[in-house]
Amino acid sequence: MEIKTINYSKIDEVVYCYEHKSGLKAFVIPKKGYSKKYATFATHYGSINNEFNVAGENTKVPDGIAHFLEHKLFEQKDGSVMDKFSKLGSSPNAYTSFSQTVYLFSCTDRFDENFDLLLDYVQNPYITEESVEKEKDIIGQEIRMYEDNANWKVFFNLLDAFYEKNPVKIDIAGSIESISKINKEVLYKCYNTFYHPSNMVILVVGDVDHKEVFSKVEKGIQITDKQPDIERIFPDESLGINKDYVEHKLSVAMPVFQMGFKDSGFKTKGTECLNREIALKILLEMIVGRSSNLYTKLYNEGLINNTFEFDYSIEENYAFSSFGGESKDPLKVKEFIVKEIKDLYSRGLSKDDFQRIKKAMRGRFIKQLNSVERVSHMFMSVYFKDVNVFDYFDVYDKISFEYLENLFKEHFVIDNLAMSVVKPIDS
Amino acid sequence: MNNEIFSDSHLEEIASFKGIKLFWIKTQKFKTNSINIFFHDNLTRDRASKNALLPAVLRRGTKEFPSIRDISLYLDELYGTAFDCGVTKKGENHIIQFYIEYISDKYASSDVDLTKNAFDFLMKIITDPVLENGKFKNEYVEQEIKKLSELISSRVNDKMHYALERCLEEMCSKEPFGIYDYGSLEDLKTIDRDNLFEHYIEFIETLPMYVFISGDLKLPQIQYIKDGLSKLKRGQEKEIIINEKESSVNNVKDIVERFDVSQGKLSLGFRTNIYAQQEDYYKLLVYNSVLGGGIHSKLFQNVREKEGLAYYAFSRLEKFKGLMVISSGIEISNKDRAIDVIKNQLDEIRKGNISDYEYEAAIKSIETGIKSLKDSQLQLVDFYLSQHIAKTNDKPDSIIEKIKQVSKKDIAEIASKIELDTVYFITNNEKGE
Repeated sequence: MEIKTINYSKIDEVVYCYEHKSGLKAFVIPKKGYSKKYATFATHYGSINNEFNVAGENTKVPDGIAHFLEHKLFEQKDGSVMDKFSKLGSSPNAYTSFSQTVYLFSCTDRFDENFDLLLDYVQNPYITEESVEKEKDIIGQEIRMYEDNANWKVFFNLLDAFYEKNPVKIDIAGSIESISKINKEVLYKCYNTFYHPSNMVILVVGDVDHKEVFSKVEKGIQITDKQPDIERIFPDESLGINKDYVEHKLSVAMPVFQMGFKDSGFKTKGTECLNREIALKILLEMIVGRSSNLYTKLYNEGLINNTFEFDYSIEENYAFSSFGGESKDPLKVKEFIVKEIKDLYSRGLSKDDFQRIKKAMRGRFIKQLNSVERVSHMFMSVYFKDVNVFDYFDVYDKISFEYLENLFKEHFVIDNLAMSVVKPIDS
Repeated sequence: MNNEIFSDSHLEEIASFKGIKLFWIKTQKFKTNSINIFFHDNLTRDRASKNALLPAVLRRGTKEFPSIRDISLYLDELYGTAFDCGVTKKGENHIIQFYIEYISDKYASSDVDLTKNAFDFLMKIITDPVLENGKFKNEYVEQEIKKLSELISSRVNDKMHYALERCLEEMCSKEPFGIYDYGSLEDLKTIDRDNLFEHYIEFIETLPMYVFISGDLKLPQIQYIKDGLSKLKRGQEKEIIINEKESSVNNVKDIVERFDVSQGKLSLGFRTNIYAQQEDYYKLLVYNSVLGGGIHSKLFQNVREKEGLAYYAFSRLEKFKGLMVISSGIEISNKDRAIDVIKNQLDEIRKGNISDYEYEAAIKSIETGIKSLKDSQLQLVDFYLSQHIAKTNDKPDSIIEKIKQVSKKDIAEIASKIELDTVYFITNNEKGE
């Protein structure tokens, strides 16, 4: 068995990697002294993959199917796999994001049995018509729960403002209407397409022996032949924004907003993608982070409070920055941000800010390594973009001020700014 | 695994003086160190809003770092050191927390002592605020009153938590526990910089303090913190007395709140009549786990899996006050049915109908949860603080030992003590229920 070892001595981390003959890659990040062992089995398949081509055959599927499949995999011929995990005292979980479906468990004891169980159930679906119908009620309540959730709504409406057709704007769980069309056949179709080992990854974080984990993977992965490539089909999307403003009303006390810049014309894989992500996060800190003048102005004017946050996301077919939180006057926040960006075009970025924020972000990155969950989530969120999570740490040194200045001009274009607001119903 | 180095749940009491207890959680497991300073007060109507406002005003600035921006610039330079403060209630105790977390020395350049810098900073936040004519800066007080009012009003934005907290508040509307962690809008209106400053002086001089240091520190660093704390001006320590009296339920309260929502939120509040210091408490822990403490539980299996009524259904204990709350999001028209199904689960436990699977998984799940908290500095600190507040003396491992002694019969026996007090429901404006 060939095992690759990558040492990250600056942060005292090691990653072990093994490739199974099916093409599946498995990773172990040892965490000495930790009680929790956190194992993840994930597929590069999420809510945006509702159209695809395999060996010349085109398939379109109902919205929300990746998430539905995630729910259904927990059902096995001899009952719910959740019960089996419970018996072992571990907590199984799963989540579906835009571009991946992740199955995981966290345990403190009996890792081997838990890990066998994870490998087994993800590879062996047992879906019946009856159980599909029952699941529609449960997912229906999940959809209803999100309908009342202002933060969720305001975020998806921002995506709707950015994109006209891109499936990222569709709710991950789909709608009550779209899931009504889901049946056993189409679930198996998606399963067989996207759950081939070569489209998947395994990660274990915790105090485990990596060799034992890999030998379990070697024996436990059933399919060994390669499969034809999957072509993921996305509708053509224009570069500009779809709408500059979307408003919705919900039962909230104060307006909730999200606004951001749509990013276009970027590489979404490997080092370039990583550089761009980190540089943009540095820029956002410089422009509107707690140590910026703009933050102070917004805070003192009473326009933002401690719910204010910002972020940058980049995935295979979309990228954008976002700022949001609660505000009594979201349009005024937008005015301030637009003005600051215009000022920055003439004033220029500060090199001191750049250096200071790099130092701070490096420290915050180290802090996240304390948690096995955080390490797993960070690893998974970049893995399918061909990025190794610990490379983050070195990128801070590689980003130049000139790169940052160019990126600023490329990304912060007022024409690409869109806004979403959820207002109180009686306003 | 070397147990000496990785013994990670060990707590050492370093010192106790002037109403300040100093603890050290010695561990090399983490890549950061943290310092937590807690002030302990009674939860009372006249103090809750002031206690909530105080950390909000203090974090606005010190003499040396007079604004949020100055503070952030400084923390950025300390490798992105995290700092925050806030309030929470534990039963009828009001806890005010000041927290700082910074990277271990080995990841920082050798010419800086981050522990010293972080501790000094935290002490400046607490003892050296920006003043104007000997009182808090008016602008900061006024702005933070507005922000706190917004925070209180915005509670309704998150209906899931709101429904859970409101159920307990309605249940305890005549007891101190009914007070919201952040106080109320009316009480905030009575606060100005004069009475807040008066409150502040009394606060830092008399409230019992708990200080937890966690991480890989050297003895001189611990000594530095101890010396710093001993310089605090302190008066007579306030005695925190919590009245725990059992209260029996005469009539089940039925509370309905209306909002424009698409999903109904159902919460059932119970009096367990069992408190953390009692031996029965460990039985209650297992009871709660069987009832609604995870996917093995009766609520999850029946309300969600069997009946398809909800996406989430769980129960949770408030150990300091001896309460339990069940929470679920359901179709509005299913309210009565959901209540029936939930009540059936309680009846089943009372009758002793607990399967081996439910029983074993319940115990295992608590065990896993407790072992897991050793992986988080904040959770460990919270665990040990809670032991002090509840006047219990458990360690993570001793709890695991005790819950393993609980039998099915024990669970069924204490089930009869648990009384439904309040049914709380969020429904929409159109359909009645």
